[in-house]
Amino acid sequence: MDDLIVRKVTKWIVPFIQVYGIFIVLHGHISPGGGFSGGAVLGSSIILITLSLGLEKASGILSHRTSSLLESGSIIWYVLIGFAGIVTGNNFLTNRGAGFHMGEVGDIISSGTIPLITVAIGIKVASTVITLFHIIIEED
Amino acid sequence: MVNEHFPIYMLAILLVNAAIFSAFTKLSFRFLKRVVVVNLLLIWIMGVSLFVKVVRDGAFRYNFGDWHQAVGVQFYVDELAVFMMMFILTLSNLIIIYSLKDIEHEIESKQFARYYTLVFLMIFSMLGLTFSNDMFNMFIFMEILSIASCSIISIKNSKGSTLASFRYLILNTLGSLSVLMGIALIYMVTGQLNMNEIHGEISVIWKYYPTNIMMALAFIIIGFGTKAAIFPLHIWLPDAHSVAPTPSSALLSGIVVKVYIFAIIKLLFRVIGVEIVGELGIPTAIAYLAAIGTILGSIFAIAQKDIKRMLAYSSVAQIGYIFLGVGLATKAGLEFAMFHIVSHGLIKTALFLSAGAIIYQTEKRDIRKLDGIAYEMPATMMVFAIAALGMIGIPGTSGFMSKIFLGSVVLQEGKAFYLFIIILSSFLNAFYYMPIITSAFMKSDSEAKVVNDKIPRRMVVPMVIVIFLSIAIGFYPQLITEIIEIAVDSLL
Repeated sequence: MDDLIVRKVTKWIVPFIQVYGIFIVLHGHISPGGGFSGGAVLGSSIILITLSLGLEKASGILSHRTSSLLESGSIIWYVLIGFAGIVTGNNFLTNRGAGFHMGEVGDIISSGTIPLITVAIGIKVASTVITLFHIIIEED
Repeated sequence: MVNEHFPIYMLAILLVNAAIFSAFTKLSFRFLKRVVVVNLLLIWIMGVSLFVKVVRDGAFRYNFGDWHQAVGVQFYVDELAVFMMMFILTLSNLIIIYSLKDIEHEIESKQFARYYTLVFLMIFSMLGLTFSNDMFNMFIFMEILSIASCSIISIKNSKGSTLASFRYLILNTLGSLSVLMGIALIYMVTGQLNMNEIHGEISVIWKYYPTNIMMALAFIIIGFGTKAAIFPLHIWLPDAHSVAPTPSSALLSGIVVKVYIFAIIKLLFRVIGVEIVGELGIPTAIAYLAAIGTILGSIFAIAQKDIKRMLAYSSVAQIGYIFLGVGLATKAGLEFAMFHIVSHGLIKTALFLSAGAIIYQTEKRDIRKLDGIAYEMPATMMVFAIAALGMIGIPGTSGFMSKIFLGSVVLQEGKAFYLFIIILSSFLNAFYYMPIITSAFMKSDSEAKVVNDKIPRRMVVPMVIVIFLSIAIGFYPQLITEIIEIAVDSLL
C-alpha cells in the first residue's frame, strides 16, 4: 500500500504497539491479559508493517526462518521449565516446590514459573500469528 | 527405574520432536528417518515398561505441579489407559516404519518434515487423550488431534484432499464445540472438571438434574460421535480417509477413530457411571444407531469402485460393531468393544497398508482392475486376503474371535435380534471383499507367472507383522482378553 500517511503513521505507531504488547506479556500473572493476548498484539504490529510497508520490510525485521525457530524454541522452553519440577524431585510443572523465586504479590518478578511460561507463550503466539499471515500472503 | 514420570517423558519427547522437525524442515530425509525411528523405539520401550509397571503395581494418578486434583491437571494411568497406549504405540510404530518408504511416493519432498511433525503431534495428542483425567484437558488434546489429522489429510495439496479436509475441518469443529457445550453443562451442575470429582458429585445429584445431564451427554456423544464416525455422522470419513496418504489413512482409520471411541467409553462409564447412563436410556440409542451403521456402512461399501474408499466405508460398518458393544453397557459388551478396537485396528491397518502397496507398485486404485494382481505381488495380496477374510470373520483371524465374542455377548443379553444384524453384516462384508480376493488370485492369463513383489522390504515387513499379530490374536485371544478383563473391571 503506497500511501505516505499510512507509512508514516505505521512507523510512529509500531513501537508503541510493541511496547504495549510486551507490557501485557510481562504483566500476565498480575493483571488481565497474558501470553496469548500480548503475543497477539505483538504479532499484529508486524502484520501492520507487512500491510503498509510490504512483505520484504517485514521479513527483514523477522524472517520466516527466525519466526519458525522462535515458535519451536518456545515450546521447548516450556517443556524445559516443566522438567525443572521433575529434576528437583517433584511433579512436572511444579512451581513453588521446585524452588522458583516466588517474590512479593504484585511484583513483576514473582510467582515463579508463571511469568517465564507467559513469556514463552507470548513469543509463540506472536511468531505463529506472523508466520500464518506471511504464509497466506506468500501463497497469493 | 520405571517411575511415574514416564507418561510425561513420552509426551515431552513427542512434543519436542514435533517442534524440532517443524523448525528444521531442510534436514535431509535420511537423517530425519533415523531420528523418527530412534525416538519411536525409545517411546515404545518406555510404553512397554510403563505397561508392565501398571499391570504389576496397579494404577496411579499423576498431578501436574503437585496441585490437588480438584483444581489441577491430572493424568490417570490405569490398566485401561496403558492398554490403549500399547495399542496406539505398537500400531503407529509399524505404520510409521511402513510410511518411511511409502511417503516418498505420496507427497512432495519439502513436506516430509511437516508430515512427521503432524504424525508426532497426532501420537502426542492420542496419548494425552488416553491418559487425561480431566474434562478440559481431554478437550484440548482432542482439538490438537483434530487439527493435526485435518492437516495430514490436506498434505497432498490436491483439489480432492483440500475439499475433504475442509469438510472434515467443519464437521470436526462442530463436534468439538458440541463436546465443549456438553462439558460446560456438566460443569454447570457439578462445578468440577476432574473426572473422579464429577463422578462423586453426579452420583449424588443426578436425580435433581436428569434433563441437564441428558443434554450434556447428548452433546458429548454427538461431538465425539462425529469424530468417531458413528453412523449418521460418518459422512466426512470416506472422503477424508481415502484421499489422505496411505500411512495416514491407516493411522486415521485404525487408531485415531478408536481413541475417540475410547474417550466416549471413558466419559459414559467412568465419569457418569453405568447406572445413570442406563437409567437415561443412552446405551440403547447408541446400540440402535450402531446396528443401522453396521448394515448401511457395508451396503455403501459394496457400491464403491475405489479401493481406499471401500475400506473407509467398511470402517463405518466396523465402528458400528464397536458401538454395539458399548451400547450393550455390560461388562461383556465393553470387553468386546475393547477387543474389537484392537482387532479392527490390526485388520484395517493391514488392509490399508496392502492397498497402499498395490497403489505404490501399480498405481491402480480401481477394484475392477485388480484381476490377477496376486501373481505380480503375492506377499501383498496374501496380507490383503488374510485381512479381508478377517473382516468377514473366517476362523483363524482376530475378526472371527470378535464376531463370535459379540455373538455370544448379545445372546447372553437375550438380544437375538442383534445376532441377526451381525450375521447379515458379515454376509455383506463377504459380498464386497470376496470378489477382490477371487479376481486377484484366480482371474489371470494362463501363462502368468508368480513373481516377487517389487515393493521395498521395509514396506512388506510391517504389513506382515500386523497380519501376524492379527492371526496370533485369532488363535490365542487370551493374549489380550486377560488384560482387557482387568481393565474393564476397573472401569465399571
